[in-house]
Amino acid sequence: MRANEYRIALKNVGRINPANLDEYEAVGGIATLRHSLLRTPDKIIDELTRANLRGRGGAGYPAGLKERYTSESPGSRSELRYIVCNADEGEPGTFKDRVIMENDPHLLVEGIIIAAYAIGASRGYIYIRGEYYPSIERVKRALQSYYDKGYLGGNILGSNFSLDLSVKLGAGSYLCGEELTLLESLEGKRGYPRIKPPFPAEHGLWGAPTLINNVETFAHIPYIIEKGAEHYLTIGTKGSPGTKIFTLSGDINRPGYCETEMGITLRELIEDFGQGMREGKKFKAALLGGAAGTFVDKTVLDTFMTYDNLKKKGAVLGSGAVMVLAEDRSIYDMSVSILEFFRHESCGKCVPCRVGTRLLTDMIAEVGNKKKSARQEMLGRMVDEARFMAATSLCPLGQSPIMPLESLARYFKKDF
Amino acid sequence: MQALATIIIDGKKVQGAVGANLLQVARQSGFDIPGLCYHKKLSPTGACRLCMVKIAGTKGFVMSCTLQVEDGLEIIAFDEELELARKKTLEYLLCEHNEERDGTYHDEFRELVVRYDLDELASRSYPKIVDQLGYGCDDSSPVLSYDASKCIKCFRCIKACAEVQGKNVLSFSDRGVTSHVVAGLNHWASSECDGCGECVQLCPTGALVEKLHRQIIDLAKIEKKVQTTCPYCGVGCQLELLVQDGKIVRSNGVEGVSPNDGRLCIKGRFGYDFVHHKDRLTTPLIKKKGKFVKADWDEALALIANRFTEIKAAYGSQALAGYASAKCTNEDNYIFQKFVRVAFGNNNVDYCTRLCHASTVTAMLNSIGNGAGSNSIEDFTNTACLLITGNNIIDTHPVTATYVKNGREKGQKIIVCDPKWTPMVKYADIWLQPRLGSDVALLNGMIRVILQADLVDKGFIADRVEGGLQALSLLQKSVAHYTPEEVEKITAVPREKMVAAAKIYAGAATAIIATGMGLSQQVVGTNNVYALINLMLICGQIGKMHAGINPPRGQNNVQGATDVGCSPLIYPGYIPIDDEANRKRIAALWSVDKDALSDQPGLTTVEIMRAAHEGQIKGMYIMGENPMITDPDLNHTQKAIERLDFLVVQDIFPTETTQYADVVLPATSFAEKEGSFVNSDRRVARVRRAVSAPGQARQDWRIIVQIAEKMKCHIGSYKDSSAIFDEIAQAAPMMGGISHQRMGHHGVQWPCPTKDHPGTSTLFLDHFNTKSGKAKLHPVIFVPQSEKTSKKFPFILNSGRLLYQYHSATMSRRNKSLNDFVNASYVLMNESDVQKQGLRDGDAVRVTSARGELETVLRTSREVAEGELFMPWHFSEAQVNRLTRGELDPDSKIAPFKYSACRVDRI
Repeated sequence: MRANEYRIALKNVGRINPANLDEYEAVGGIATLRHSLLRTPDKIIDELTRANLRGRGGAGYPAGLKERYTSESPGSRSELRYIVCNADEGEPGTFKDRVIMENDPHLLVEGIIIAAYAIGASRGYIYIRGEYYPSIERVKRALQSYYDKGYLGGNILGSNFSLDLSVKLGAGSYLCGEELTLLESLEGKRGYPRIKPPFPAEHGLWGAPTLINNVETFAHIPYIIEKGAEHYLTIGTKGSPGTKIFTLSGDINRPGYCETEMGITLRELIEDFGQGMREGKKFKAALLGGAAGTFVDKTVLDTFMTYDNLKKKGAVLGSGAVMVLAEDRSIYDMSVSILEFFRHESCGKCVPCRVGTRLLTDMIAEVGNKKKSARQEMLGRMVDEARFMAATSLCPLGQSPIMPLESLARYFKKDF
Repeated sequence: MQALATIIIDGKKVQGAVGANLLQVARQSGFDIPGLCYHKKLSPTGACRLCMVKIAGTKGFVMSCTLQVEDGLEIIAFDEELELARKKTLEYLLCEHNEERDGTYHDEFRELVVRYDLDELASRSYPKIVDQLGYGCDDSSPVLSYDASKCIKCFRCIKACAEVQGKNVLSFSDRGVTSHVVAGLNHWASSECDGCGECVQLCPTGALVEKLHRQIIDLAKIEKKVQTTCPYCGVGCQLELLVQDGKIVRSNGVEGVSPNDGRLCIKGRFGYDFVHHKDRLTTPLIKKKGKFVKADWDEALALIANRFTEIKAAYGSQALAGYASAKCTNEDNYIFQKFVRVAFGNNNVDYCTRLCHASTVTAMLNSIGNGAGSNSIEDFTNTACLLITGNNIIDTHPVTATYVKNGREKGQKIIVCDPKWTPMVKYADIWLQPRLGSDVALLNGMIRVILQADLVDKGFIADRVEGGLQALSLLQKSVAHYTPEEVEKITAVPREKMVAAAKIYAGAATAIIATGMGLSQQVVGTNNVYALINLMLICGQIGKMHAGINPPRGQNNVQGATDVGCSPLIYPGYIPIDDEANRKRIAALWSVDKDALSDQPGLTTVEIMRAAHEGQIKGMYIMGENPMITDPDLNHTQKAIERLDFLVVQDIFPTETTQYADVVLPATSFAEKEGSFVNSDRRVARVRRAVSAPGQARQDWRIIVQIAEKMKCHIGSYKDSSAIFDEIAQAAPMMGGISHQRMGHHGVQWPCPTKDHPGTSTLFLDHFNTKSGKAKLHPVIFVPQSEKTSKKFPFILNSGRLLYQYHSATMSRRNKSLNDFVNASYVLMNESDVQKQGLRDGDAVRVTSARGELETVLRTSREVAEGELFMPWHFSEAQVNRLTRGELDPDSKIAPFKYSACRVDRI
């Protein structure tokens, strides 16, 4: 841990053996769960709401509100409620959830149990990307330890609250990281996105009210409940309190992850955590948030990175992925690979995404054969297509190509 | 009634039910919002993105198919932006679409292409990429063909298969723009697809098309579309027949109409080709010197009239008998029984109903007062629990089964009770597999469990059962020794399964019984059904909505033929023949002397054959029946028929029975006649002429009237079949309010006693149809079967039907589409028995019983228990009824088709 890191989700990383629940308890783990079960669910939701914890999966939706909706949803079929942890980390350049699951799975599980208690869920699943072998193994082991000690199963810690949690594996589809598609997959169906609304809070897994959050979001919950909302609000910025894990890759000296307070600048990330540009090259661009993210140029280097600040710059924080590109990188090549990625991952359910992602790859291939002036005009046309796709597509995948393309048009029109 | 909401579409106020689908409501109100993936029978998909609208006051587009009507909703359905986005979406679709077309299907996509001025290539902005996508065809199914290049990936076929038909055979393979529909593991012919064609019917483009008549059909040349009722099983599906050049070229399910709401099975959709088959009888045939010679109608009718008259004069009126037909219309059958009663002067009229549900009807009539199903088809979805006994419902009532599967999706509990595995077991919560012939023990055991667990509906017993709680205590005594242990010993059903099933049935909020031939076709058939009804009554699972007992009918008009009086015991409307007042009433209606109508019960189906064998019946008139396949103990039946002095068979094809006839008369098929059928829900629905009869074939009732006239016996002169139905309405009080006109395109469910009566969807809601108005318990005991296995005959043979063939196969085997699925006989034997017998799967074997033998092919199967065999009985080259026996259930005179001791030897 370096000087300006601030660790909440990663607080135990490197300090304890991730395969040993006793060690987790020795550094204060489970105490919050114990304490939470003595409070009313309402109080917990209230705490999370006041802390303004925003979903760390990328969209930044207020987690407390989601819990509130789920806990108050009447449920059409039965009293049953589900809790689901989205650990299908598939956004290119993102590996923050993996770090948590591999290094401190017990924290994740504790967070899920507290949230489950808050919304009254009795059954839950952790849906882990299938290629994440160590994560899968460690989370499964953590669950077993929880069961062995009576922290999961019937009457947890002697309370009236019971919860069963198990691991489900993704099978390689990017789209299954989209929450509604993930629910379809959990139900044993093919990973196609569902129509929204209804939202999972009212009609989620098998039609029951379901809370679905990202790994990192759950990992913040024990901390918030332990320290209180007021304390949490002092970390980070006003609109984006707390910390964020960034995963750095690309042309920097030290790729990796770090957790810092919200509001750090891109320059700090590159200089302090990435230890500067590789081979002393000049910074050209950063892709923030993965394929469904945005390119920024050097004018954004000193912007405080929060959900709202970046939005003003036509950029997103997204998953926290930061891919750094040096001066000799081709923005065009990068774009080709991003559009190819969308074409490959488009499920094909809705027309605009199915055909549009293919048209975009055809168009960008055509760009390669064109003169500079014509290329800019092509980019404009691609943005138009992507905008149409965003307006008419069924799920976030078809709504994504507009993000990188629009940012390209804003920052790299000449470089394209 | 659902609450109504007012919404605003493009500034216009529109009313719709709260929660209704917005796209549906908008379209009904005249807003022609485009859309390709939505279909009113399916859950919204949101795939095609064409039905996008804007909600006033919010940003962006939403798909109207995914919105529900709620008060105050204000949407914009048409503006420039929306129309442009729709046009662009269509253009996207066109990129990946092969636009070749051949006029054999209705193309909703193309209609939109034209509507949005995209027909000309010059008007489009995107290049065609369809050729780069590697789309293929799956042409392996016998009945349909899939071309991925014409597929718009709307999910309608997949959802048709899953949500409507409950089969889940189809899915997408691949991802993104190259995704395409596959059946099973990407090979239609080896998938579980059973050819119902629901996917074809709901396909909005030409991706899924029928193979049948693909080469000749041209939708532009269709002369007429005729709604009629399916000629196969008793579900009574409404078909729309498309006629081109005087021939039927397609059959579609009629959407939005009960009972099927567009659904069909393979027989209904692809089984109409028999109508135009070259084997059709086209002229009367008279047997001269052992050979059939073509004759004209006058000669044939005169001969028949003379011979019937002579026999009657020589041997008395009791020497004549007739078999009516479960395949003919109500009008044909009504005239037939009238002919027997008036011209023959006796009540010797019966038909093959005697061999299917006679025991069920007998027990139901005695216990609850009606032999027909108490519910409507929708209840198979709406009830909380379904008990299926001896009924392979997926194969024999395929469309009813789709409603069951829909119910299961909604959480319905399903109990299947069958000695043989049936496909419904896959959907069942519990499968009880009793030994053949042990049903009473099993049902009594369940009754005992319910009594012990105090799950009895005492209020129902007290209010609605004769003798009330006292009758219950008698029942209690009669089942006292059917302990779970004892029942397990008799039936081989594990006790915990039996107990669990009993508790599910008794504890369900509502439960329906669907009972079939498995229970009825035994020498204890009536007792079986009594036990079943006892179970139902003590649980109070009748007399309320979504509860009751239903014997799904095996043939298109087996319900109607009895309704209109083709029975030796009753007149039209189930009025016993010994009811003096009724006979008087009927005599007046028929303009005959009351005493001319015999008050003596006639002979039943098998009894008629016995009497023929004994020489008491000398002459017979068989209309549309094939007893030389369908009667038990065929060797005996054959002798009986051979001993007849004179036999007339009236049919649409030469059959195993026509060869014994002295005169064969060519009749018309369902597609060539006007009339009506009654389905399993008591729904009287129209049959309409679509094509002309071949050659000189005539409608059955006209032939009968003409024979009567030649016999100098007036049984009425009718303008048309509608006039006959008007007389039926007078004869049968329960149909008093029904006419052809009222049936219209929806049918009417009896009882419908008066013209202003709406018809009845559920029976017994306030009273039972018995004299007392209450139901009756009939305690019964388990009697071991008289037929026993022995060293010589170590197996018990069970028999039944298949989805792809029908009854004696006269019609079904004359359709290539059906034969391509199954067209050969076999016998199923448990794998351990196969080993013990030293046999091998696929062996040619001889199956022998004390009555006869046949040759077939052995199939190793886990579908049957050890010691038991199963054979489909459709196939004339392996006549299962050579093996069955004529021992009858004393109460109903049904024969035990399900229980024959046999031996199997390799040939």
